[in-house]
Amino acid sequence: MDFRLGEAAERVRTEIRQFLEQEFSQTHRQQERDTGDGHNWSLYRKLADQGWVSAAWPKEFGGGGRDPYEMLALYWELSKAGFPWFGLLNNSFIGHTLMAMGSEQQKAELVPKIASGDIMVALGYTEPSSGSDVAAARTSARREQDHWVIEGQKMFTTTGHMAQYIFTLVRTDAKASKHRGLTMFLIPTDAPGVEIYPVHTMGGERTNSVFFGGVKIEDAQRVGEVNEGWAVVRFALGLEQAMGYADRQEALLEKAEQWALASTDNNSITTPDPRMEQQLGRMAANAEVARLLRYRSTWMQAEGMAQQTEGTMTKAFSAKVFLQDAQDWMDLMGPLALLEHGTENALSEGAFAEAYRATPVATIYGGTLEILYSLIGQMALKFPRNR
Amino acid sequence: MDLSLDESQRILQRSFSEFFARECPTELVRGSESTGFDETLWRRFCELGAAAMGLPQAYGGLDMGLFDLGLVAAQIGQSLAPLPFADVASAGRLLATLPDVDEALMTSIAEGTGLISLCDRSQELPGGNKVCLPNGAIVAKVITMQGEDLLLWDLEPQHATVANMGSGALAIHDLSLAVPRRLASGPQARMQFEHALAEWKLLVAAMQTGLAKKALEIGADYARTRIQFDVPIASFQAIAHPLAEAAAQVDGAELLWQQAAWSRANSAKRFLELASMALAFCSQVARHTSDVALHTHGGYGFTTEYDIQLFYRRSGAWSCYFGGVSNAYCEVARQRRANAMAGK
Ligand SMILES: Cc1cc2nc3c(=O)[nH]c(=O)nc-3n(C[C@H](O)[C@H](O)[C@H](O)COP(=O)(O)OP(=O)(O)OC[C@H]3O[C@@H](n4cnc5c(N)ncnc54)[C@H](O)[C@@H]3O)c2cc1C
Repeated sequence: MDFRLGEAAERVRTEIRQFLEQEFSQTHRQQERDTGDGHNWSLYRKLADQGWVSAAWPKEFGGGGRDPYEMLALYWELSKAGFPWFGLLNNSFIGHTLMAMGSEQQKAELVPKIASGDIMVALGYTEPSSGSDVAAARTSARREQDHWVIEGQKMFTTTGHMAQYIFTLVRTDAKASKHRGLTMFLIPTDAPGVEIYPVHTMGGERTNSVFFGGVKIEDAQRVGEVNEGWAVVRFALGLEQAMGYADRQEALLEKAEQWALASTDNNSITTPDPRMEQQLGRMAANAEVARLLRYRSTWMQAEGMAQQTEGTMTKAFSAKVFLQDAQDWMDLMGPLALLEHGTENALSEGAFAEAYRATPVATIYGGTLEILYSLIGQMALKFPRNR
Repeated sequence: MDLSLDESQRILQRSFSEFFARECPTELVRGSESTGFDETLWRRFCELGAAAMGLPQAYGGLDMGLFDLGLVAAQIGQSLAPLPFADVASAGRLLATLPDVDEALMTSIAEGTGLISLCDRSQELPGGNKVCLPNGAIVAKVITMQGEDLLLWDLEPQHATVANMGSGALAIHDLSLAVPRRLASGPQARMQFEHALAEWKLLVAAMQTGLAKKALEIGADYARTRIQFDVPIASFQAIAHPLAEAAAQVDGAELLWQQAAWSRANSAKRFLELASMALAFCSQVARHTSDVALHTHGGYGFTTEYDIQLFYRRSGAWSCYFGGVSNAYCEVARQRRANAMAGK
């Protein structure tokens, strides 16, 4: 047994920490707090210049050929630092999907532009009437001569307002069964008829609702075959191996521990309040277990082992305890913990208030806890399908 | 990174799993409810070399590491085998590291005839000399740390098991009646004692994880086969989801004790912290999982006829050995803090 990520991954960690120290300034942090964009073009281009957008892609496609451990170290450090990384994450997956399922033209023209950081693609799966039931998408595309006309609405299209394209799941055959009548398109956000409106969240992240009113697009914008969109979604979601939030749990734990250490000036190893001590121990264990579950899925990925529900378990466990710990820690802190970043007397620069607001979505996006539990039940415990 | 067992570990795991499947059916566990020990089973277990595993070859041991002991402890947890393995193994390993080793004692431990235990602070009764030992009814000696001294006590032989919720071989001893032998003293001795306690905790964490795995399996089997409202109850999310949540926790518990055991040789700075963490988390998961699995059985889970209650009671009992889950979490926080301060 060996629980270490290895030297290559540790080198990535060091490199990314240096990058963050040099480039991710207080101004950038404040800008992300103000906008909640989840993406920052100037920082993104710098990462792309160093090859990080395409780091996991195979070398034969001009990718970095980085292994899963190196990718874990990259994502870990960015996420832990609160870096606006959604663009990076999504585009790593979309680029990979296009290489596997896109047309020759898409591979030749779009993939290099994604790798170089010139364009960014947002994910358009969710709609007002289809969330957990992704395959129930109603946004439609109808063929007119050599092009398609898109009608409908997407919801929660994060980074859509900064993206050049939306990777959009639409219905192309209303008569076919739910999963059979779907097709995937890359819809340019500057096409006439595309309207994007902000949706603000309690956690501070901005997301969007996107309207398509008779948007005309070329057939060349289609990804995969007509009515085979579900296979494309499954491939893309499969790459998005559930990572969980161990990195952010660790960040919260460190803030809490630093606060506890600073609030006792005698050199004692006991905190003044045993309830606090107990909660710090719990948070440490929960962060450790979330990290180990994630290491396990990463290890399986690196070894080419078929995963069953390991990624799902990682996400489910981590999301639940992250939310619980943010709440339980807040409960011990008293009213000063309510003060937001930038106010006088705020505890740990408002980190605990921020965690309390930001954690509920962990159990919602990318598959809600209920959906994840049903999957685990079905696959790991051989329960009948119950959704 | 490599999270797989190597060939010899797989063989070890398989042979003990087969051993307990064959030698320790539920009838045996139920038959030892009042004593918490089965002498024949212990003898057979020792014939496999189990008591010698973690000891140095010089004393008839097999020189195996803590991780391998953990694999055996997990199988004990799965089968609820009434054996004092964790206590004896950790105490024996402590003795082997001390100066002036009593060779006869070491050999008897390796053979399985010498039964010995450590005593943690939380097992001392308030107000004096009495200690409440998880396997007090069968161990003949106990090691304590008092002040700067590491002491070895001879216990009265054949103490009766006190009726207890977890059906362990629990007994209370009055140490004021005995005269201890000093084994060592000073900070080095204290550190060795702390590490031995941590090994004991780790082995209990592995037992709890094995217990939780089996409890989950029993609960999930029942959920798939019990029909109500014309469908298996597993098709109700209110039944399926808590079991699915427990499944993820059990996997996490296993990784946690395994990492803690691995850290003993590879990342020693964190060993004490990780052993307490494994004890806290794995105990919590075992308790929770057996509770969920029991609830899955409806009224039947509450009857003595069904096995799940055996798991429910033992997970609760094993959680209490070192002062409880919340106490172990506090220990984690203190150890992390001590590490952080030492790092400065
Ligand atoms: C901040 C944020 C960013 C997001 N970013 C993106 C993005 O970039 N792209 C994108 O496509 N989507 C995105 N999403 C959407 C997200 O994936 C969905 O919100 C999520 O999948 C849940 O869908 P829903 O909101 O429609 O809830 P619903 O599916 O309506 O669910 C409501 C409740 O019912 C429960 N439920 C639903 N079905 C079942 C069932 N079968 N059994 C038991 N319980 C059930 C759910 O668990 C939930 O608690 C984002 C969401 C948020 C909040």
